Amino acid sequence: MFNLTVKTLNNIIFEKTITLKFSTLFLLSLLLFSCIENNKSDTIFDSTNVKSAENSYATGFSLNNYDGWDVLEIYSPWPNSQKNYHYLIKHKFDTINKLLPVFDYDGIIEIPVEKIIVTSTTHIPALELLGTENTLIGFPGTQYVSSEKTRLRIDNGEVRELGNNETINTEIVLDLKPDILVGYGIGNQNKALETINNSGTSVLYNGDWVEASPLGKAEWIKFFGILYDKKKEADSIFDIIETNYMAAKTLAQNVKKRPKVLCGAMHNNVWYLPQGTSPEAQILKDANVNYLWGDTKGKGSLALNFESIFEKAQNASLWFSPSYYNSYEELMLASTHYSQFNAFKNKSIYSFANTKGATGGVLYYELGTARPDLVLKDIIKISHPTLLQEYNTYFFKPLQ
Amino acid sequence: MLYKKSTYKSITILLIVLLCVSFFVNIGLGSVSISLKEIFLTIIGHQENYIIQHYRLPKAFTAVLAGSGLGISGLLMQTLFRNPLAGPFVLGISSGASLGVAIVILGSSLMGGFLATVFISKWSIVIAASLGSFIVLLAVMIVAAKIRDTMAILIIGLMFGSITAALVSVLSYFSSAELIQQYVFWGFGNLGNLTWYEVVIFFSIYAVGIVLSMMSMKNLNTLLLGENYAKSLGLNVKKSRFIIIIATCLLAGSVTAFAGPIAFIGLAVPHIARQIFNTSNHKILLPSVFIIGSIVMLICDSISQLPSSDYTLPINAITSLFGAPVVIWLLLRKRKMVF
Repeated sequence: MFNLTVKTLNNIIFEKTITLKFSTLFLLSLLLFSCIENNKSDTIFDSTNVKSAENSYATGFSLNNYDGWDVLEIYSPWPNSQKNYHYLIKHKFDTINKLLPVFDYDGIIEIPVEKIIVTSTTHIPALELLGTENTLIGFPGTQYVSSEKTRLRIDNGEVRELGNNETINTEIVLDLKPDILVGYGIGNQNKALETINNSGTSVLYNGDWVEASPLGKAEWIKFFGILYDKKKEADSIFDIIETNYMAAKTLAQNVKKRPKVLCGAMHNNVWYLPQGTSPEAQILKDANVNYLWGDTKGKGSLALNFESIFEKAQNASLWFSPSYYNSYEELMLASTHYSQFNAFKNKSIYSFANTKGATGGVLYYELGTARPDLVLKDIIKISHPTLLQEYNTYFFKPLQ
Repeated sequence: MLYKKSTYKSITILLIVLLCVSFFVNIGLGSVSISLKEIFLTIIGHQENYIIQHYRLPKAFTAVLAGSGLGISGLLMQTLFRNPLAGPFVLGISSGASLGVAIVILGSSLMGGFLATVFISKWSIVIAASLGSFIVLLAVMIVAAKIRDTMAILIIGLMFGSITAALVSVLSYFSSAELIQQYVFWGFGNLGNLTWYEVVIFFSIYAVGIVLSMMSMKNLNTLLLGENYAKSLGLNVKKSRFIIIIATCLLAGSVTAFAGPIAFIGLAVPHIARQIFNTSNHKILLPSVFIIGSIVMLICDSISQLPSSDYTLPINAITSLFGAPVVIWLLLRKRKMVF
């Protein structure tokens, strides 16, 4: 649930700031952000003859047709990004030698893609749902991949290990010669990815994690649908996920009793929990539970003082995702304050941290983005035990 | 010019009153507003209030222990090295502790996923931090026994700092984002996560350090004259250096183990005390550093709680943000540094 903070912090660390100069860094980054200017004009893309394939939820990308040319546009690869990315989509088997249009695009992508590198575990399910997992040839941090299909390919040596997303092993990437690399940036361009892009391999930024709604995140399967020339398949897969999600939501709306819910856990006396309009909180809302911070506004996570959490949520009947903690014992070891909550006393804490793949990757971080319907059903099943009696929770399990 | 005895007395009384006030203000302020009556009834035991009894009170005591402990160890180091820039961490205590904590948190992933979270309990962090600073202390002691020049110890302490920082960055390169996050959070410093039981253990280590530094008061005054002169006065420099270093390690080490590496207090508080009392006599400085350190820490903690808001700032940021201007102001006002 704290993907965002984790990624941001990760970035901070690799800029060599372990030495506690947090405040200085913060000021510096403020300065940096204010200095970035957007010089590139997108005038050609404002032109006539635009046909867009509208997304229902996702706002981070779209496929537009300019004068007969398909252009994949990425709007917000990271939060508050200033630049839009335009990729010209050209079919490999296109026999008509049309003149490439002269405009300012960031890369040409020949579809269907045959060799791909993706960088986030959230991209793996999309490949598998489209049946294109065999095109994956490299991944940074392969130990985090849990899906059995892709795991098998990793174990067979068909997927190369590329190190770390922030410091991806450029040499191996260049050696692998992928058709494209799907990366993600955290707050600004990733320098290693820039180098790869300049070498001729198209780097696409995937912004699924920036989307404001759970279904918006899931809709990024259509992004991969475009790359594999499987738009129709991607559309129908997403339709099924959406239908399942809506059905579960409708089911939950009929329940009268809404349990009070607490989320998250403390790091250093500061309690981190999702804000009221974040995708995570939207799922809680759709599950018809009373998330106690549901009225706050914002995309990311709240960082609150222990006192205010304790006062408000002491009597909450359910507690979801207490950070990385796997058991009640671990929570106690971290802080005895946890034991004062009713949800702790009644053993009503549920976490996705226990559902792991063979090599220790947390399944929720991989599949949770692509399958919000399963996440929603998990929450409904736990919060309203009378509903979905046949269903077994997929990610969320009781704390040990 | 030195003050009269009665002036010292009145300043001390004023500071003690200020200490009591800031202690109660610290308990009274927080995210949740609790009435004065309720706080009073809870303190005298007529009422139960979890937040006061198990959160704010231990936090206030930790603040007193941390503030005074760091201040005194800073004073000891400044005198021992006759260097106004020295602080409690010049011997590499905090770097040793950081390395210990980094090995536990960041290295846990190397020990396998299952063990990872078991290792990162509060106690394992405390033990790792203590062990880390103890090993660095041991190394410093061995060096101190061989080397005559006290300044060399200072430089060796700094070298230890560089080595540990390098090891930490290697460890963090191979660690997952969550673990790095935890390590960074540890570095922010934290006064409020101790139970009463832990406060008592913290206090017992701290008390030994305080006793040792009180024993060294006279020797510290002699050391101010310079090592050669102190020797000619019959002071066993090696032995008193040994005691001073152990006292510093116990004080700064226990604070770092229980509350994280809290910056700035150790460097600034001795200067504030010298400026206020206008003396470098340790019989006056030691108790005044104790009181001022506690006051500064309590005030910084009260600010970092951002009373009546739901948020908390990292204590480490507040100590520097609040403390540095105070020292600058004091130096400007007096125009001359007392050292």
